Amino acid sequence: MWNAFRAIIIRELIRMGRQRGRLISALVRPLIWLLVIGAGFQTLIGDGNGGDYRQFMAPGLLGMTLLFGSMLASLSMIYDKESGVMRMLIVAPYPHYVIILARLCSAVIVGILQALMLLIVLALIGYVGTIVSPFLFLIALLLTAAVCAATGMLIAVYSKTLENFAVIMNFVIFPMFFLSGALYPLQHLPVYLKAVAYLNPFSYGVDLMKHAMLTSQPDRFAPDLPVWLDITVMLIFIAVTTSVACLRFSQSSVMEKVTQVLSASRRS
Amino acid sequence: MLMSAIIAKDLCKYYGDVKAVDSLNLDISAGSFFGLLGRNGSGKTTSLQMFSTLIRPTSGKIFVVGSDVVESPVEVRRNVGFVFQESALDGTMTVDENLKFAGALYGLSNAEVRDRSEQLLTLFDLMDKRNRKVLTLSGGMRRAVDIARGVLHRPAILLLDEPTIGLDIINRRAIWGYLNGLRKQGMTIVLTTHYMEEAADCNQVVFMKNGRVIGDGSPADLISQVGSYMLDIVTEQPESIISHLTPLLGKPVVQADLLQFRVRDEDFEIGALQDELRKKVRSLLFRQPDLNDVYVWTNKREQD
Repeated sequence: MWNAFRAIIIRELIRMGRQRGRLISALVRPLIWLLVIGAGFQTLIGDGNGGDYRQFMAPGLLGMTLLFGSMLASLSMIYDKESGVMRMLIVAPYPHYVIILARLCSAVIVGILQALMLLIVLALIGYVGTIVSPFLFLIALLLTAAVCAATGMLIAVYSKTLENFAVIMNFVIFPMFFLSGALYPLQHLPVYLKAVAYLNPFSYGVDLMKHAMLTSQPDRFAPDLPVWLDITVMLIFIAVTTSVACLRFSQSSVMEKVTQVLSASRRS
Repeated sequence: MLMSAIIAKDLCKYYGDVKAVDSLNLDISAGSFFGLLGRNGSGKTTSLQMFSTLIRPTSGKIFVVGSDVVESPVEVRRNVGFVFQESALDGTMTVDENLKFAGALYGLSNAEVRDRSEQLLTLFDLMDKRNRKVLTLSGGMRRAVDIARGVLHRPAILLLDEPTIGLDIINRRAIWGYLNGLRKQGMTIVLTTHYMEEAADCNQVVFMKNGRVIGDGSPADLISQVGSYMLDIVTEQPESIISHLTPLLGKPVVQADLLQFRVRDEDFEIGALQDELRKKVRSLLFRQPDLNDVYVWTNKREQD
């Protein structure tokens, strides 16, 4: 079982290494946000004691990299369903939850590797100050990546094809990002938006990253929630989402949908 | 007594209201070569998918090497290799990477995967392609790698779902050369195919239609049941020929301008008939029956 678990992770890492476009866009996307949106907002805030907005954005942009990197890595499971590779996985001798757990781990690793690459670039161009707690930062990276990967995995086990990918982008990834505190502090939002933001598990990851990264920022840029709450909410979310994904994937109806999708694509 | 590789008891599979497999009962002996034959949608692939635990039966039982597919799926999967109708390989990875990946899924060590891959790729003459991405291979090569993937862990039972579909005759022969070797080594092979000549060597075949078994037995027995000879007539006057020969030979199978009659009498004299029909037919072929005829006549019997 361990062999299979490791093999699934290694395969994902090989695939990621070959998708240079995916790696480059993981770096370019947040940098565009930083250099375009960040510069624009900085002019509104001013350079005085209003704080450095681009440094404020750094945790959110690392979160964005984790969100896209880990979630898209999880969603690539739909590609395996469509291409037929999934059948090779599901007729091999181990319980099917192993596939979910291995894919989840690989998606976390992919997200973290991309975020670390971005961190180096941000540090080189001076947009990352001192990391207050490297340990807390690693925990934040790990948990945020797991939250994003688990969300993607849950979508992947319920999705039959990649046709609804645009729907996922528009109705899952973008709302999770915009309502996370990555671009602005949550404390000043209207109550109804704040409520939605606190239902968003990604908000807790961004907040935890702010705890680990933001040092000399004014109060209005400070994290919104206590560290213990961020960690607790994310752990519960990861446990529940992963369990649901494992249970769902172990149901034979999921396999039947895979075989039906393949049969339909063959007929067409 | 021969041990059973696969036993299916009252096996049913429904997709909504559609009955894909209906009360299937099978006992496939260990080491045998077994054919599941029938038209598209007859339930062959669904049956294989249930044998492999890929899908779950709606009702009934399946035992694979003694293990229940529902209660001990992992044990069943350990004993089964499945070559799917469509490739299950990752096209973006190389041949070697795909085989390494497949081997690791079955718990093989790196050394085992390397040795067996080399052996299989040599057999299929693919050693020089091992570092090429699967997407860049021809259909025949990809199929060979698919089969290599399916047998890499040396399963007790190999399920082949139309393994040579779409391949040219040279690739088909190469693949069957290898599969025949596996049979001689005692591997149980369960085959679905539309090429009846591929099933001619089976120990037993089952014909399926609408999820039900409509005929079964050894190919030799089934062929002998069709008749002693077949009479194929191509004509532009089918009504005239049918009315002339039906009282003598029974109703034919009609496929466009081809009339196919069964001749049960071993001493049937074709010479006189040839002279009689000369002006009415374009061609007349008197030949021995084969599995294609069993297939056609079994379906006709069901339609009637």
